[in-house]
Amino acid sequence: MIDILQWSTLAICALTAAARVPSAIRGENRSLFYIFGLMTVAILLSIEAPYVAIDQALGGINLANLLLRFIIFAAIYFVGIRVTRGFGADSAYRLITGKAGMVVLLVISLALMILFFMMDTAGSSAGLAGPSQKSERNFVLVEYYGAAGRAYPAYVSLVLLPAMVSAVRSRLPVLVRVAAALLATGGVAIALTLLFPVVPPEWGAAEFVINYTAVLCFVLGLALIWAARVQNRKTSSAKRTYTEK
Amino acid sequence: MTIPAKAFQRWLQGIAPDVSTADVCRISGIKRTTLAQQLVRGKVSVSTVVSISRAYDVNPLAALATFEAYRDLAGPQALPTRCELVSQVSTADLLRAVLARPATEPAGTSGSASPPLTAAPHATSVKNWVDAIDDGEVRHRVSAATGVAPQNYSAQLTANRLSPELALATALAAGVGPAGGLVATGLITEEEAGWPPGARQAALDSLSDGDLTALAGDRLQALGKVLKRQEQDQAQTEKIWENLG
Repeated sequence: MIDILQWSTLAICALTAAARVPSAIRGENRSLFYIFGLMTVAILLSIEAPYVAIDQALGGINLANLLLRFIIFAAIYFVGIRVTRGFGADSAYRLITGKAGMVVLLVISLALMILFFMMDTAGSSAGLAGPSQKSERNFVLVEYYGAAGRAYPAYVSLVLLPAMVSAVRSRLPVLVRVAAALLATGGVAIALTLLFPVVPPEWGAAEFVINYTAVLCFVLGLALIWAARVQNRKTSSAKRTYTEK
Repeated sequence: MTIPAKAFQRWLQGIAPDVSTADVCRISGIKRTTLAQQLVRGKVSVSTVVSISRAYDVNPLAALATFEAYRDLAGPQALPTRCELVSQVSTADLLRAVLARPATEPAGTSGSASPPLTAAPHATSVKNWVDAIDDGEVRHRVSAATGVAPQNYSAQLTANRLSPELALATALAAGVGPAGGLVATGLITEEEAGWPPGARQAALDSLSDGDLTALAGDRLQALGKVLKRQEQDQAQTEKIWENLG
């Protein structure tokens, strides 16, 4: 079940990224292509088999996990910029790119790296499942490390949430409002990941579902806005030819 | 409110005995699947009844009055008030009338007779009609009588729509002829509602220069607001597509 979710999420991300290639070559909103590309790599790195393969190439000390965290940070940072710009959420934009956002990003990144290098991280395994079982100390460190890795995405998505909620209620085109609803759902899901430390271990599957729901909501939301634009371009060009006759 | 299928069948038997449903659809220009679906669900729409009445040369108002929910439409029709008549003059016609008045037209250029008014309904006819008969409390009374929330009622007016049920309830709550709302929503024509021919033109002509000009000003102001809002929405949408499309 979780396998299906993981691989289908990967497929959706990869397809969306591939679909953006032509417009990226034309130079339209390249950052969207980067977002989809980064998300694809992030999903790839969170699946056991590809993760182990890549990590072995990087020395087998789970550096790939640290890399994954920063890829997620980069992706969510670009999402934050594009979405706040697009929806005209100036205060949210400042909270992400301004001093506050930079401080948050810096502190979390430093914490992430310090925690990572304090751990005994030998032995590739996705989600650091292996190292976490080595010792009590490592288990605690992995928990903190995971929390730090979820903190920045949660910060950005909480900043985005009010703008998305008001966009859903606005008079924007229906597809855009559905997209905003998806982005808001993704944001809530990411914020929920902050609660993982208090989630009982039996609910491990729920953590997976929430993680992938968040990614899927973001990718589908962004793709939907794009679809809305394509649709609008078609209808408006059809109208134009009609009036020209 | 829709018409119960049973009552509809009985009525149909009365005006077109022993005619197959297929023939009724063909003569009245209703899609066969549409009518079949309405009959299956047991709810026949008011516009279906209107179309069939017209096809069989029955006055749609009289036809509707035979149904329980619309029996207020029966009997001799009260003549529309001047406010109602003027509200059904389109903004363009209203502005033309202003320009044709001696008060605004430079002396000596008065010329051709004004072209006939475009038929009701116009682009803001529903809202203008409700505004024309509103004593300030009508919306509350309609909402209390029908159980429709005020914001849903306003949303319909903004979209220049009003369900036949609400149109009737509004007319009753305002104490005007019950058919006025059905004309404003375009369900039936002025003629079918028993409005004397030329009544709108006469009502328009009876307005003083000052009243007419003030009314035109109000209309222009409302139109300006709507256009401005549309432009803002459009600009916001463009911005989203620029950043996320």
